[in-house]
Amino acid sequence: MEGINTVDLMRLKHGEVNLGTSIMAVRFEGGVVIGADTRTTTGSYIANRVTDKLTHIHDRIYCCRSGSAADTQAVADAVHQHAQLYAAIYGERPPVATVAALFEKLCYDNKDQLSAGIIVAGWDKEKGGSVYNIPLGGGTFQQPWAIGGSGSTYVYGYCDATYQEGWGEAETLQFVKNTLALAMARDGSSGGCIRMCVITEDKVERHFVPGNELPRFWEGKEVIGGLAQTTKPVAAA
Amino acid sequence: MALYAEHPASAHDAHAAGPTQHAFNPYSDNGGTILAIAGKDFSVIAGDTRQSEGYSIQTRYARKVWQLTDNAVLATNGFAADGKNFVKRVKQRLEWYQHAHHKQMPLRAIARMIQTMLYGRRFFPYYVYNILGGIEEDGSGAVYSFDPVGSYEREACRAAGAAQSLVQPFLDNQVSVGILLHFSSHRHPSICSFVPSASLRKHTIVTNDRQFPPRHDNSTRYLGVFAMEALSLALTPQIYFKNQVPEPGAAPFIPGNLPLSTVLGLVVDSFTSATERHIEVGDGLEVFVVMNKGRTTDDLLGEGQLAEGMEIEELGALGDGGERTFLVKRALKRD
Amino acid sequence: MAAKGPVEGSSIGFDFSNYARNEFLGQRLNGLPKATSTGTTIVGLKFGGGDSGEEEGICLGADTRATGGPIVADKNCEKIHYLAPHMRCCGAGTAADTEFVTNLISSNLELHALSQGRPARIVTAMTMLKQYLFRYQGHVGAYLVLGGVDSTGAHLFTVHAHGSTDKLPYVTMGSGSLAAMAVFESAFKQNMKRQEAIDLVSRAIRSGVFNDLGSGSNVDVAVITKAGTEMLRNYEMPNERGVKSRNYKFRRGTTAWTKESIRSLVVSEDVRITSGAGKEQPGVEVRPVAIGAGPGGEEGMEVDS
Repeated sequence: MEGINTVDLMRLKHGEVNLGTSIMAVRFEGGVVIGADTRTTTGSYIANRVTDKLTHIHDRIYCCRSGSAADTQAVADAVHQHAQLYAAIYGERPPVATVAALFEKLCYDNKDQLSAGIIVAGWDKEKGGSVYNIPLGGGTFQQPWAIGGSGSTYVYGYCDATYQEGWGEAETLQFVKNTLALAMARDGSSGGCIRMCVITEDKVERHFVPGNELPRFWEGKEVIGGLAQTTKPVAAA
Repeated sequence: MALYAEHPASAHDAHAAGPTQHAFNPYSDNGGTILAIAGKDFSVIAGDTRQSEGYSIQTRYARKVWQLTDNAVLATNGFAADGKNFVKRVKQRLEWYQHAHHKQMPLRAIARMIQTMLYGRRFFPYYVYNILGGIEEDGSGAVYSFDPVGSYEREACRAAGAAQSLVQPFLDNQVSVGILLHFSSHRHPSICSFVPSASLRKHTIVTNDRQFPPRHDNSTRYLGVFAMEALSLALTPQIYFKNQVPEPGAAPFIPGNLPLSTVLGLVVDSFTSATERHIEVGDGLEVFVVMNKGRTTDDLLGEGQLAEGMEIEELGALGDGGERTFLVKRALKRD
Repeated sequence: MAAKGPVEGSSIGFDFSNYARNEFLGQRLNGLPKATSTGTTIVGLKFGGGDSGEEEGICLGADTRATGGPIVADKNCEKIHYLAPHMRCCGAGTAADTEFVTNLISSNLELHALSQGRPARIVTAMTMLKQYLFRYQGHVGAYLVLGGVDSTGAHLFTVHAHGSTDKLPYVTMGSGSLAAMAVFESAFKQNMKRQEAIDLVSRAIRSGVFNDLGSGSNVDVAVITKAGTEMLRNYEMPNERGVKSRNYKFRRGTTAWTKESIRSLVVSEDVRITSGAGKEQPGVEVRPVAIGAGPGGEEGMEVDS
């Protein structure tokens, strides 16, 4: 497998806006949790520090976008249109699998012109919560959890070691939050805040974690303002 | 669904084709402009004070013009780090000279020394354009201009740097071409004369056509063109400025003979205009005026000689030659 | 997609017939001619609403320098473009592209408003712009700040040349965007008053004008509220040129000539009215226009005095 980093970045056209990203989606009993950082960059400049990379496709289907901002927005807009058309024709919500297939077709057919890594997630009455990963050149992979974007390479090990089946909504939400915080801490082109979204049969619920309230892990005592210092008891005078 | 327009450019995009090569580049261009004009018994050397890289201003006040001796001022432009280092080394050599000879180095000798110092770095050049101005041993104002590897010549005026292409044509039109200097000064700088004499011209043209040292640019051919131009000038002796027909009955123009007040006006207008149209020029202007010993200072220090917003100070003498150097400062636009 | 495109036959869109020729020439000379770019500072912010006691609105700002490489091409150009009565768009990037794209979308918005029977929304303009720009894959180099007020409120977007968009309460673009964003990040507040917004916008533009070499000259501001749009052209002029120290007027006869020949271009003249308002009518005196009345004519332009 080629490194996600190299492929992702080299494929970008000159001066293009990049979602050098950490995104993820996790299935749980009754629904899915999706999450993403909020950083958008052009080169080293942060063009948007509160980006919403969790993009609405239909009532109970969202996608997480990584790669070129222009490409992923265009593809998501096109699929959004298809999903609306589906609902109008068949009188019911499109299944997540169908939407994932639409994404895959656009990404695969135009693979030489796109740099888009997309995770589709949502709830439908056939399968309940489901997660589909559509990496760079196309292909659809249904998974219990999926991570993507440049930051994801840092946290595969963490996800493999931590994920367990049978979690509820709260545990899943905490897992997504922790994973993204770890990825954002290591990846320079991810960062800012965390946006998350819980999709179940009954609700689409958004969560926002500001940059100064991100989960923190061991940082070493050298880090100024790091955890090691803040947790240290204050010495008596 | 057509996601894309059919644009032939996207098929062979410049960035898509071929590997990207990376190499360390030790040089950068810090913008700015310098300029010098020689008068009969004075010389004016000026530079703006902005130092930039790309679209960013590194500082609004960085010196580009330096007093070397009582009769020599050096302006540097191009890569600021090289410029600073080069001036430092020139000053060191001048100090050694003073210790060895108990006098300051004459202007023409400084010019020749700068040539050898620049050429010494022929294959890793100082990325600097130098203009040397001051007073020659015979008391005349002089300007020498250099390329980065040491090719130099004495001229009546010269602009260099970012706005060279804007300022030099203006000076050619308003000051003179200094054709005479082209021919006589390089081989015999000390006998350079400002009196337009047809016989001297013919003489120097002949010697230069035969003896001018070959150079890496096409200046030998260039010289031939100038030779023809000089001949035609000799035949039409009343040429004033480039492309300007003189007033009937006016006195013949003598290159390098403009009054100081006129020269200062031209310098200030050159820089305010370059500031208007060149993004790398602005912030401040420093003008060094070197005067021959005994020359009047009334046209510089006299009441109402300097325009509003200009400051002047005299720089202390380094030796006892009697020449005086003044520094005139003025603000330029900061956008 | 079929192979035939705008190259043969089609009369809409861009004409690429000179593309191969220009590539060839570009290789033989060094590089293709440089388009004028608006090395620019453009900004926008949302104000009003909340407990400010004012109608919510959008304040846009731009500098007025256009550059071609390091040379200033225009010292007082207009970068706040008209899209619709309640919508404006600041443009950075290739000057021609920003001009053309905004004109085109402005036309389409007018048609859209006519067919729908209501003013177009800001998202509509944003979608039109992003779809157009995405089609041209960044070759149409327009970087835009789009703002306006519609039935759904005040909206502010950035649109990048490749077709990506962002929706934010305060935005900057162009080469001076970092300088301007530094001002916004330190001083932006939610629900500012109108004058506060104008002051902050012009401070952001000034920061670009003085700290970014690609930006310069004056500050243009536009304020859009439900009540209407106010264009404050040259709201600030902090860079006016002083007087020159010398006078460069050339004496008459400065330019030499080798030959002089003057000839009359009008050989013969016969004015005959055939129809229309000029036709003889009762009580109306018909007067042919005198030759030499216009500029350059007998009493025309004075070149020198």
